[in-house]
Amino acid sequence: MPMSQNKSQFVAVASIAAELSAVMEVAKEISLAAANAKAIAFRAGEKARGFQPITDFINELAKETIELVNNINEHALKLYRLTVKEHRMSEACKRFEKVAVSASAAPYASSLTPSLQQARQRRTDCRRQFSRHVSELLTQLADVMHPARAARVIAANSRIEASQAGEYLQSLQAVAESVDNAAQIIHDKVHKCRSALSMINAVD
Amino acid sequence: MKMTKIYEGAYQWIMYGRDPYKPDNIIDTNQYVVRTENRCLLIDPGGIELFAPMLAAVLHHAPVDEITDLFASHQDPDIISSLGLWGQALPHAKLHAAGLWEGFLRHFGCESIQYVPIPDAGGVINLGSVELQIVPAHYLHSSANFNIYDPQAKIFFSGDIGAALEGPGQPVFVENFDAHVEKMRFFHQRWMPSNQAKRVWIDRVRSLDVEILAPQHGRMFKGDDVKRFLDWFEALQVGIAV
Ligand SMILES: [Fe+2]
Ligand SMILES: [Fe+2]
Repeated sequence: MPMSQNKSQFVAVASIAAELSAVMEVAKEISLAAANAKAIAFRAGEKARGFQPITDFINELAKETIELVNNINEHALKLYRLTVKEHRMSEACKRFEKVAVSASAAPYASSLTPSLQQARQRRTDCRRQFSRHVSELLTQLADVMHPARAARVIAANSRIEASQAGEYLQSLQAVAESVDNAAQIIHDKVHKCRSALSMINAVD
Repeated sequence: MKMTKIYEGAYQWIMYGRDPYKPDNIIDTNQYVVRTENRCLLIDPGGIELFAPMLAAVLHHAPVDEITDLFASHQDPDIISSLGLWGQALPHAKLHAAGLWEGFLRHFGCESIQYVPIPDAGGVINLGSVELQIVPAHYLHSSANFNIYDPQAKIFFSGDIGAALEGPGQPVFVENFDAHVEKMRFFHQRWMPSNQAKRVWIDRVRSLDVEILAPQHGRMFKGDDVKRFLDWFEALQVGIAV
């Protein structure tokens, strides 16, 4: 992996962490919206009967998203550490190779060979581990898309239920709207993460 | 990299410096190596940029597995930012450095090298047949700072104390002390913060038998120039930026 690739890898991994923390914020917003909707539906009583199970469902989806993102964050942190390690190994290999050339006439030049071989081996290991973690992370990110997609379907249902809620129509519609928006944002952000990751693995 | 043998007995002291391939915008440094029959100590091994030329130079005197010890006088990047790379090359080596700086120095990468923390009072580095004294030089300039004294070779490694800033390719020993003073004045006045620490250090060094005073930048002092340096430093007001 050339240096420029290593740099873009740092940026990609860091941007994934940034997108993930944004996903987390949005998931918390959904959870808040769900609590809000529950309160409104409770006040609306009979008129919003169909809305009540939906709010519970939205809340669960938000919780699920938060849990998934927490797991993914741990993974992303591992990926970052591997990137640092790989960078250090690559640097070491590069410098050792330089020493091997410039010290070729030195009486003890060959004593560096085991260190160089070991650094190369470690660099290969790092790259292999990195690829494996990227694939795992891609799968996990696909899992986060599911609750977000489900939330959009539910938001559509909520709009229908809200239309029967009389004077509560507007507030419930607003809830449906915000859940839909939030789900869309999560979907987009996760999509960004996935394409950033796929790019690293493609070059790899 | 220029190599100068400054002591030759049952073991050797070698000074490495004046690297002609060093990038112009980084400060020139002197590295010192103590080579016994089967071990090797690198004193202030230098910054990342210097790792490859330094290791290539040391391989003229010792194989990798006999480079057993590193010493860092303090935490500055020109002293020891190469630590992570040395760790990859010498997984079984020890780093002797201030306990106070451990959490900081580990930022340079120190997974495989064993960190041997030096307490504030100093200590020794035992190389088997040779024992070197670690002498406290706190606040000159770093808040946890150490020098090395070898009573047998009568060499005193003084870290940044005695440093001079001058152009590339200069001789390794001071030849005309009076002319050399101007190359040291600003460095000491600006980088050294404490007149009190300076006085304590001077008393300490005067009590030792020193033939060569060896700083990390600039030129070494030999014979009477050691005493001249101590007198000059004693009279100098430091900590001028406040
Ligand atoms: Fe320094
Ligand atoms: Fe220095």
